[in-house]
Amino acid sequence: MAATVEHVMGMPILVDVRDDVDLLVLEPLWAWFRWVDATFSTYKDDSEISRLGRGELELGAADPAVQYVLARCETLRRETRGYFDVQAAGLLDPSGYVKGWAVDRGVALLEAAGLRNFAVNAGGDIWLAGGALPDFDWRVGIEHPHLPDSVAAVVQVRDGAVATSGAYARGDHVLDPHTGEAPADLVSVTVTGPDLGVADAYATAAFAMGARGPGWTAHLRGRYEALTILADGRVLSTAGFPRAAL
Amino acid sequence: MRRKMSIVLSVAALALPAANAAAALSTTNASKKVVTKKLAGATEQANRWGTVQVTVTVRLTTTGQKTTHKYEDVSGSYSYHTDRSQFIMSQSLPILREEFLQGQSPQVQMVSGATYTSEAFAQSLQSALSKL
Repeated sequence: MAATVEHVMGMPILVDVRDDVDLLVLEPLWAWFRWVDATFSTYKDDSEISRLGRGELELGAADPAVQYVLARCETLRRETRGYFDVQAAGLLDPSGYVKGWAVDRGVALLEAAGLRNFAVNAGGDIWLAGGALPDFDWRVGIEHPHLPDSVAAVVQVRDGAVATSGAYARGDHVLDPHTGEAPADLVSVTVTGPDLGVADAYATAAFAMGARGPGWTAHLRGRYEALTILADGRVLSTAGFPRAAL
Repeated sequence: MRRKMSIVLSVAALALPAANAAAALSTTNASKKVVTKKLAGATEQANRWGTVQVTVTVRLTTTGQKTTHKYEDVSGSYSYHTDRSQFIMSQSLPILREEFLQGQSPQVQMVSGATYTSEAFAQSLQSALSKL
């Protein structure tokens, strides 16, 4: 049982392993994240995403992983009525899907190495595998918008994803692609489900929808559930959202 | 502002006579008694826009002369509010569950949030690590 943090892909990534293994088993995971960063970062001029954005690289000549990710993003854009959009800020930026997708693929690496009970927290978007031994489930707090030492809710998850999008202390960073402005009515949207990349994209889209976000999350399919914190202090959650008793 | 209000009302609901209380669970052994109660508060004027009613689920543990309580759930309903809020609710109900934002510090292993480069996130990480 051990936990470790690395700063990679522009954020702290925490891996908490509850199986009895040496943390050396995480080395392929860190190498994978470094490759994702080099390939997908919008902060690196020579990444494939930056070169695609500047028109210096043809999509057909890009790495198959880049082609796959951009195709998934296009599907998600249609599924979210255009609210999840890699071009939302004008430049090609699939970061909102890449982070979760990179974790999903990284989790497969850890499972192939025999790990069963662990969590990967990539800047607040989390995959939870097995249980938080000796506890049966993982308990994840949802960041409170005003109280730094508190959480707004607790979710209980085994083998699933928890992603949150919102406007906390970091300031507005999700824009409505239809207006180019930050949504005003919502504080955050948390989505749980079987895929972290998709959960993150749904959370981003629902947040960008503003007042229409909660209603949209009520109709999500495929075992995705959502909890929305409104600016007026109310909390709306879908019927199956995995709330833990306190 | 709203959060503060809901906490005050939660406490008020607890102080009410037990007219609405229902003992849901009661176990007894030699010296310890545990009762779970669901208490509905009176409908109160929340502010100039509307009213609120809070329901609190609390677990009372009596050991000898001493009784401790632990909140298990707080929910509420209100007649609400601005046009904007009405709009959100008309989009959302009755499929979504509504409650008040609360601040809690239960034991968790991870925190999910949007402030991934913030001080708050770093602190969450720190506290998560320190629990191992």
